[in-house]
Amino acid sequence: MSEPTLAVLLSAVAAGEPSALRGIYQQQSLRLFGVANAVLRDRDQAADAVHNAFLNIARRAGQYDPARGAAEAWLAAVTRYAALDILRARGREMPSDDPALGDIPVEPEALQLLEGQENGTRLRACLQSLPEKNRRGIVLAFVHGLSHPQIAAQLELPLGTVKAWIRRGLLSLRDCMA
Amino acid sequence: MTEEERQGLAGEYVLGTLDAAQAQAVRDDPSMATPIAEWEARLAPLHALAPPEAPLPELWVRIERSLQGTAQPRAARSPWFSRFWAVGATAVAAGLATLLVVQRPEPPPLMTVLLTSREAPAFLVEADRGGEIRLAALNNQAVPEGRVRQLWALPAGATAPTSLGLVPEDGRIRVRAAAIRPEPGMLIEITLEPPGGSPTGRPTGPILFIGRLAPARGV
Repeated sequence: MSEPTLAVLLSAVAAGEPSALRGIYQQQSLRLFGVANAVLRDRDQAADAVHNAFLNIARRAGQYDPARGAAEAWLAAVTRYAALDILRARGREMPSDDPALGDIPVEPEALQLLEGQENGTRLRACLQSLPEKNRRGIVLAFVHGLSHPQIAAQLELPLGTVKAWIRRGLLSLRDCMA
Repeated sequence: MTEEERQGLAGEYVLGTLDAAQAQAVRDDPSMATPIAEWEARLAPLHALAPPEAPLPELWVRIERSLQGTAQPRAARSPWFSRFWAVGATAVAAGLATLLVVQRPEPPPLMTVLLTSREAPAFLVEADRGGEIRLAALNNQAVPEGRVRQLWALPAGATAPTSLGLVPEDGRIRVRAAAIRPEPGMLIEITLEPPGGSPTGRPTGPILFIGRLAPARGV
């Protein structure tokens, strides 16, 4: 049995068909809950984030433009922003000395997961061309929502250095992927 | 602001390192919309690094309730009402029976995430206690030329797995095997087999992915 694609479901939501949202939830809730939980590391708050994200998806489905990328990426971005909003609201008091924090996504093998994603091979190659701490900072910020001070603590680098490195790392990623 | 500063700021917004006030300012600046969209496209593959996790089943109910609270006229009607309306009067009695069944507390559905040998999530498996098993690829990869993927279930205590069929190229399948009753602890695996599937009725190729069913749970 083939299911409607996410892009089709999103345009149905935009056209005022609320049941299509349920189809999106059924296909994507595990992935999106995982994205929110990686940022918040708290299942109750991750549920709040996915809840808020789906209200946003219902309201903004018409803004999704297939020409700009895969529906999966758009849904994950909406969810991660909802998680980041909660993170900012709670003041990012998450302890940055949690020894388990960030071990998984920053291992070099983990970057293999990028293969098979749209643009994933390119991003992986460009990330691997960055200095290691630079790459770790970018991945920790994106996946776990770490702030500059938390990344500085995690990488044992001065805050100013981390800020400058991340900015420079982003700009070299952009050049590398152009 | 130089173009480089604008690009850097948009990148940091998408990365998530800006504080609330800075993030709001970037979000509200219409000239940032394009650089933000470009950064989202560049960094989107990183979403794959967050391991998939199952939310509590109640989450969808909560979302639906919030949507009804804020809904436009079209969505304001209760879904149950519109569903009854759609099926017509003769089916209402059957619908009521379904409703009663749905409201009785049921054991949670079973699920597992099949992992690769490197512990990367590859497939989501959900199973109803009634017997239906659903497989969905989380990160579908090409199958080697001249080979197929075959899905198997190994109930606790069984000595040999039972085939649940071949996995289609899109990595999605829904099966109901008469001989299999999904239960916690049942192993689900995918092996690589010759075209048409294993000729012996047992796995002959390497195990690509494996996982064990457990009750879906939230917190």
